[in-house]
Amino acid sequence: LPTPSARLPYVPHVPPTALLGKVTATTFALERPLCVFDGHADASDAVWLAVAFANASSAFRNPQSRADVPPYQQLLTAHSYMTLETAAAAYSCSAPSPPVLRVGGDTACRDQGRQDPCNGPLPSPGPYRVKFLLMGCRGPKAETRWSEPILLRRGICGTATPPRVPCTCLVGVLARGTASALPHLMPLLLSPCSAKVWGSLCPQDLGTNAFIRRSYRTHHIPPALPQPLPPGCGHSPPGLCHSAPQPPAPCQRI
Amino acid sequence: MAKSDDCLHILQGLLVFGNVVIGMCGIALTAECIYFVSDPHDLYPLLKDTENSDIYAAAWIGIFVGLALFALSILGIIGVIKASRTLLMVYIILMLITFAFEMASCITAATGRDSLTPEFFLKKMLNRYQKSEPANNSDDELTKSWDELMLQNHCCGVNGPSDWQAYTSAFRSTHSDADYPWPRMCCVLNTEKVPVNLDGCKLGVTGYYNSNGCYDAISGPVNTHAWGVAWFGFAILCWTFCVLLGTMFYWSGIEY
Repeated sequence: LPTPSARLPYVPHVPPTALLGKVTATTFALERPLCVFDGHADASDAVWLAVAFANASSAFRNPQSRADVPPYQQLLTAHSYMTLETAAAAYSCSAPSPPVLRVGGDTACRDQGRQDPCNGPLPSPGPYRVKFLLMGCRGPKAETRWSEPILLRRGICGTATPPRVPCTCLVGVLARGTASALPHLMPLLLSPCSAKVWGSLCPQDLGTNAFIRRSYRTHHIPPALPQPLPPGCGHSPPGLCHSAPQPPAPCQRI
Repeated sequence: MAKSDDCLHILQGLLVFGNVVIGMCGIALTAECIYFVSDPHDLYPLLKDTENSDIYAAAWIGIFVGLALFALSILGIIGVIKASRTLLMVYIILMLITFAFEMASCITAATGRDSLTPEFFLKKMLNRYQKSEPANNSDDELTKSWDELMLQNHCCGVNGPSDWQAYTSAFRSTHSDADYPWPRMCCVLNTEKVPVNLDGCKLGVTGYYNSNGCYDAISGPVNTHAWGVAWFGFAILCWTFCVLLGTMFYWSGIEY
């Protein structure tokens, strides 16, 4: 009768350190089980990692010899496999080694179809449970407990199209306001009464400035004959023209 | 030396000064827009073929508007000094047209900038980076731009390498997750462009991969570009508006 393997209290787990790639879509990292198998392992023993779907972990039976080890290719049918065969000495307390193991990192052996132990990428997000199994020449000698379920990442299908932001910013409002106000200001400026504004700003005397005088009659010289208001002045926009308190002078349309 | 003479000379002086400033600003606008169009940070491929390359259109308009402003300012100075109604009318009309174009350019730059969010770049990157059968040259250029960006700025993705894990992408369909949790360019590379520690990079060990996102490296120059075109343009427009008002006022006071 095969001797039952010793159950060690160690629980395999994903390393707590902040590693961005410790769980990806097809791989995950585990902390090395250093010092766990000391006292149980001989020099010739090997430590395997058993990986099973979380709902199939209770149905997993330890293989009794190396030949019975379920290979990676059987994961989808048998719902479990064993991989990462490592000499027990690599997990001893004094072994210098990188602190994490990466499960699923070997893409080359996936397609080869051999029955050698293959640390191939995991085909689905899982969740998976793992345990370490110490195998000797005569079968399993010790095993750790099953880990908590490890769920792999799954990418969201792309990102939604970001909506075009309607321009509510002040700049756009100002720009649009300016653009819409400009056409209203233009007739104001080109109206016949801008001449009156000019005259009221720079009051005329009887000087001989030929630049200004000829465009309208000055305030101080009353017109020789009373003339009717031309339509231009009377229909001009309110404000500028009507606020000037002077006798109506003919606005000679320029 | 009548008072109106003083008024006249002051107004002429102001208009000439205003036009000189417009001319100089026009040259400055042209130079600034040429700088932006030359794309010193090689970010144009990230925006090309999208509805968001507006800021480049705005910069192109800015080049021609700047030259027009310079030419018109000379016309304006001549017209003001000679007190010629014809010249000034031509000046006013052309300046209004230029004003409208510059307004369009500024608004385009400002609104174009608003739509350049991280999600926008993320979507473009996920859809087109290292696309296996590039539909056209622009996918290749986008890939090259991103590679260059990640190499120069030591960054990865838009928000970080987790972009490649959190979303499906064209890259993911051709590169297995186990070998390439994120592109090789996200790893710390030595002088021969080989990752210093490939396993460390794949695991995400600090020091062997670039953990920050490239959005800051993109948005910095793009913001400068958009705000440079938009705000400088608005400043010029404000000044030009005042000068135009003064010119119209001056024009209406000129005799036949």
